[in-house]
Amino acid sequence: MSINPSRRVAITGIGVITAIGESVPEFRQGLFNGKCGIGPVSLFDTSGFPSQLAAQVKNKNLEACIDIQKFNRVSRCDLLGLIAAKEAFINSGLNLDRCNRDNIGVIMGGGAGGMRSWEKYRRTLWLGKTRPRPSLLLPFASCTLADFIASHYRLTGFRNTISTACSSSSTSIGYGFDLIQTGVHDIVVTGGSEALSELTFAGFNALRVMDPLYCRPFDKNRNGLSLGEGSAIVILEDYERAQDRGATIYAEVLGYAINADAFHMTTPDPDAMGMSTVMAKALKRAGLSTKQVDYINAHGTATKINDDAETRAINRVFGRKKARELAISSTKSMIGHCLGSAGAIEAAATALALYSQIIPPTIHLDEPDPDCNLDYVPNHSRAQEIHFALSNSFAFGGNNTSLVFGRASVDI
Amino acid sequence: MSNIVITGMGVISPMGVGCDTFWKNCRKAESGIRKITSFDTRAFRSNIAGLVEGFNPGQFMPSRIYRRMSRISRMAVAASIEALEDSGIGLDTIDKGRVGVIFGTAYGSSSHVEDFYQSLLNDGPRGAQPFLFPETVPNAPTSHVAMFHGITGPNTTFCQNDISAEIAILYARNLLLQNIVDIVLVGGADELSAMQYACFDTLGALNKVKVKEDEPVKPLPGGGLVLGEGAGVLIMEKREFALERGAEIYGTFTSGVNTGGITSIGHYEINGEQTFRAMSQAIEQADVDSDKVDRGIDLIDVSANFSAELDRMEYIQLKNIFPRHIKELKVTPLKYLMGNFGGAGIIRAASILLALRHQHPLPVLKAEILKGEPYDEMEWEIPSMDKIETALMTTSTFGGGSSSLIFTSN
Repeated sequence: MSINPSRRVAITGIGVITAIGESVPEFRQGLFNGKCGIGPVSLFDTSGFPSQLAAQVKNKNLEACIDIQKFNRVSRCDLLGLIAAKEAFINSGLNLDRCNRDNIGVIMGGGAGGMRSWEKYRRTLWLGKTRPRPSLLLPFASCTLADFIASHYRLTGFRNTISTACSSSSTSIGYGFDLIQTGVHDIVVTGGSEALSELTFAGFNALRVMDPLYCRPFDKNRNGLSLGEGSAIVILEDYERAQDRGATIYAEVLGYAINADAFHMTTPDPDAMGMSTVMAKALKRAGLSTKQVDYINAHGTATKINDDAETRAINRVFGRKKARELAISSTKSMIGHCLGSAGAIEAAATALALYSQIIPPTIHLDEPDPDCNLDYVPNHSRAQEIHFALSNSFAFGGNNTSLVFGRASVDI
Repeated sequence: MSNIVITGMGVISPMGVGCDTFWKNCRKAESGIRKITSFDTRAFRSNIAGLVEGFNPGQFMPSRIYRRMSRISRMAVAASIEALEDSGIGLDTIDKGRVGVIFGTAYGSSSHVEDFYQSLLNDGPRGAQPFLFPETVPNAPTSHVAMFHGITGPNTTFCQNDISAEIAILYARNLLLQNIVDIVLVGGADELSAMQYACFDTLGALNKVKVKEDEPVKPLPGGGLVLGEGAGVLIMEKREFALERGAEIYGTFTSGVNTGGITSIGHYEINGEQTFRAMSQAIEQADVDSDKVDRGIDLIDVSANFSAELDRMEYIQLKNIFPRHIKELKVTPLKYLMGNFGGAGIIRAASILLALRHQHPLPVLKAEILKGEPYDEMEWEIPSMDKIETALMTTSTFGGGSSSLIFTSN
């Protein structure tokens, strides 16, 4: 490859807000204790939908978490993202005044963005009783989070938002990795945010892919996904720079790949060619062999077809013997499917697994499915040595992303 | 010197469907901004936009393919078909896993967002129409392009308002430089919808011009945005790969820089420091003869779109880049002719590449016009030039991002 192999990429800051924890310590605790965040939704009326539950962030006073005066007209999505960004910057220990801010990029992944604000505007208009506030329309574009973060922290490097539904924010981490590895930037703020919205809630219900109870990835009786919301912001940094300043390195990003199923808008290719290829290419880019991988944070949405196809892909890429030795888990069983931020939250979970040397469980897995015949770490986390891990995201439209992480300071 | 070249293009634009018509209208500075007919504008303070007219998806693909697609996806797939044909690539003879499809769009199919939500409002939780939902994601056009051609390589979609297509070009370069792909279809697309128009109108961002049938359309310079729509696709590949397959080359993508300006939501960068930084770095990296008054740049394509904030900021920064030359400086604000949309960058790049290939300059206006001179004083002219070697394309968006790209003739 024509890239400078000396540039390695470290994760030096993480901020997370989800239904199972509103900071990294809380999230870690929830993750390793197998906490379920899926429950009733209070953001909008879900009565009448076949499935009425989701993993909503519980805090009712999110505005108090940040200096809200500085952020005019933020949507719930941007608010969640700004809260996670604040934590990520604090725990990175970066002193931005001593950084060249032209050299810090902001690459976010977005899903429905400020859709919830637009819905409030649109519904008020439809009801015809009062006039809605026009400013509800301002944060509609999913790129406003990148603009807010960059403007607040005065970061003037690359400014991008990737929007490929459920793989958006994993690709944002991948592109951030590229920008550091190829020497464009020293630091890139990556990740994404997603807030529950009526549009996505009604959409997945209309497609009949939501479990009326809670999602049960890889379980024989699984019946679809549960939506979730939240944000994870992941700060990537040139490895040497991070070491020199004595930063905590949560994990190393080793590589990634993206591709397309080119099969169907909403159904994954049952033959799982796209899923298989993206994992194989990500490992190749990372310079790893399949033998070296210990853990996969699966896409694991708990739809019949996804979990079957993903299992098939893992078997194909790793071979049946190695596939059975892998620990695989779907953290969506706890935090729901957070769409635009799913990739970043799951990357954060994978980095924390590597940092803590604990594998998060797949909860609600009570009855194994004979077609899903691998070790999904059912219901209880497991302390285990983990050197290398993969995190998968497979989106609407067949947009697949696979990220590869390594334990900090493990030599390849 | 970059070794990334462009070997094909497809354009569905307000200035014409298909590259040939587009190029003809480009050379005449024929405006595609007209009275909106595709939806009811009576409630709005404006009724003009850059509209794609005469686009029949059936000329590009069978109805069973396009019937479930949104307008944006139809335009994107059509542009990709024209671009691939133009490039002469036989997809069946190459590894489709090493072909990328990278798009930029500001909002994807906003009409499907509106229609789906309306079905929920009207018919309740169990009446929302499932077939409308999948097209609401901004990556739908990109995925349709991949599905239509069976392209399984890297595929992603950028949404960063008006620089969406430009940053897609930069990501495509990233893939090519790392040898992850041999070819990239890099595209930009947006559709004009009543929903999006209503949002911009409500926020007071539109150029408040209402015209009657057959009345000449004259947007007010500095009076606000004129929206547009369209789709474009460029075929980008490494020079060696293009030469090996005997492709015709439009031009070289020489350098590109993305920066982020600091501003508040809904506004352009006020002073334009980051726009300036993007332009200076792109020029520096292109290694052109920057001692000359024109800094070795023959063509300047600006992103001015009739908004007072952007147009004036671009003028000020051009003055800083070309201090000795600003009085004579002439620029091509193509959005004055086709409106403003997130995918416009690909179509602007296409016009530049056509100019480089045919060695025929793009129509220009005096840069001073960006300060907000009256529309009637806008005189488009075709400059006389012996040789067109280098073109600068600068774009800034509300929210703050900027990009600057340099293209050179072979």
